Amino acid sequence: MTARISRRTALAGSLALPFLARTGEAAASIPLGAINPLTGAGGAYGPSMAKVAKALVERINRTGGVIGRSIALDVEDDQTNPTVGVEAARKLIDVEKVVAIVGTWASAVTTAVAPLCWDSHTMLFCVSGADSITRLPHHGYIIRTQPNTYLQSGRAAEFLLRHGCRRVSGLSAQTPFAVDSWNRLKAVLGQGGAEGVGDIIYDAKQTSFRSEIDSTLAAKPDTLFLNSYAPDLEILLRESYQAGFAGQRFTFAYAATDAVLKALPAPVTNGLWSFAPSPDVASPAYKAVQAILGISDPDPYSCQIYDHVALVALAIGKAGVASGVAIHDNVRRISQGPGQHVSDPVEGLRLLAAGKEINYDGASGPCHFTPSGDILSCKFLFQVAENRHNKTLSIS
Amino acid sequence: MIATFLQALVNGALAGAVLALPAVGFNTVYAVLRFPNFAVASLATIGAYAGWVVNADLGWPAPASLLAAFVVAGSVGAFADALCLKPLRPLGALVAAIGSVALDLVLQNAARFAFGNNPRGYDLTIFRNWRLGPIGIGPQEVEDAVLAVIAMAAVFLMLRTTRIGKTMRAVADNATLAESKGIDPARVAWAANFVGLGLTGIGGMLVALDTSLDPLTGFRVLLSIFAAAVVGGLGSIPGAVAGAFVVGIGEEMSTLLIAPTYRTAMGFLAILIVLSFRPGGLIGERAI
Repeated sequence: MTARISRRTALAGSLALPFLARTGEAAASIPLGAINPLTGAGGAYGPSMAKVAKALVERINRTGGVIGRSIALDVEDDQTNPTVGVEAARKLIDVEKVVAIVGTWASAVTTAVAPLCWDSHTMLFCVSGADSITRLPHHGYIIRTQPNTYLQSGRAAEFLLRHGCRRVSGLSAQTPFAVDSWNRLKAVLGQGGAEGVGDIIYDAKQTSFRSEIDSTLAAKPDTLFLNSYAPDLEILLRESYQAGFAGQRFTFAYAATDAVLKALPAPVTNGLWSFAPSPDVASPAYKAVQAILGISDPDPYSCQIYDHVALVALAIGKAGVASGVAIHDNVRRISQGPGQHVSDPVEGLRLLAAGKEINYDGASGPCHFTPSGDILSCKFLFQVAENRHNKTLSIS
Repeated sequence: MIATFLQALVNGALAGAVLALPAVGFNTVYAVLRFPNFAVASLATIGAYAGWVVNADLGWPAPASLLAAFVVAGSVGAFADALCLKPLRPLGALVAAIGSVALDLVLQNAARFAFGNNPRGYDLTIFRNWRLGPIGIGPQEVEDAVLAVIAMAAVFLMLRTTRIGKTMRAVADNATLAESKGIDPARVAWAANFVGLGLTGIGGMLVALDTSLDPLTGFRVLLSIFAAAVVGGLGSIPGAVAGAFVVGIGEEMSTLLIAPTYRTAMGFLAILIVLSFRPGGLIGERAI
């Protein structure tokens, strides 16, 4: 029997060729989504996060890709707005069929996007801090590289214990994490033989906290844990100084800004301890982020999204299959297993292709995760205020 | 326990003295123009920034800074009123009040545009509190309270003894009658805005001296100002002073009984209680 091809069939076939070629190309590349705050409140971080993600994807593609396929990265702007974030996630999941979404920043955006991800078995890697995120019923489809309140408060308490603080009082702005923060701090202090002697939760919109400070100082603390934002920290530092408090004061680096230190006389702020999660500045992956951005001190979120892309690529490399389920099943095997320590994702992919086991240590830290998706440990920067400037005490 | 009670009383009285100035400004405007001008919040902030520029940038002492706070906040307030709120007043007090909320947000963002979001500090030494037995009293707060009393006394004198002050009182008492006697309402409106909002500017600077200066400095005290004005009697200057002390002391004393988180609610509880028994406020309406 002879196959007969009419002119009409031939024409239809030739018209379809470009589409077939595109289909083939799409099948060859692994679709990956990034939802970043390119504008809005997180606009200071989103553009550099996107730049880092694109640069790492390009490097992986240049060096042979993952399991023989290139990664196609689609970056969407969530405008730091959960509604826009959900629209972006729908496009990435329903149309682009991405295997993972990386780099959601605002807790509200991550919380809104997460159900779409776990419903569609798409992995979600976020840098959001709210404890509630990993308490969602996500079935393992969320990985968070930003330390949560539990980890941060525990490390704060360890620092206070190391520095001989024995009676710690808290003054906390009314936030969703105020109570969790204090409870964890108090528990770790108790384990170290120190004492949390009371926490007062205040309304940060007030203009004076004299009565709160008087009540706090009545317990005769040697240290104040100021769980504040910048405007209320300024008032608390001023009024606790006026009230004659001469002990230690400890707060978060996002509150002890240079602007706050400059707004108050040096005798009021000198000796103020502050801390913040820190990238692993000694890591080769951190140096790679420095090189991509061309700056010496990349922000933590840019470091974290570098690790997100690396974890996605390595998990696929380990599984040999590109899907959300494969990443879900393998992400801990390449980040906290017994294998060879690697900080370069390309090197990690080469080792995986050679059948070796690896343990990825990233720009943001060791990338070890709890079953609920929280990071187990990371570096913290501790600093002290001296003459209206923050001076680094340690990164540990 | 007695020491704690006395300490809260002292803290409340000092807070009330500072709160009294913007509350007096708010009621001065209400008495003459018959609408609540919520733009007092950002005008307090603008006054605080004007004082900061004179103190921290030019290096002038506190009295000159307070004068700058008065003049700049009064001028900006009077000009903004003439431009934005005057056309709305014939439509009713509610429309003018809503207009003043919009104006407040515009002015607040103008301050943010000019000075940024970062907090600023005045070039003043911060002293430790004086100790009177178990009671601590801040020298800065005492100075603020004295300055507030002087500024309020000056306004009382102006209203009682000067021609413009008397015309303001006449308009507040009976606008139609005052106009029939040849008093120019536009001129009186301008004077009321300049004096009332200028006082608010001084109040804003005193609040910022005691706390922090950023674009939301005035907004953070707006609810307390409004509570003080209503408790004392809308439009009443002595009432604003009495209301400020009731709100200031009430908020501080409440921390003896309930968690500090809820103390802002005390101002509004005070409104509910006072208005339930005296609908016109403690002193009564429009007694300037």
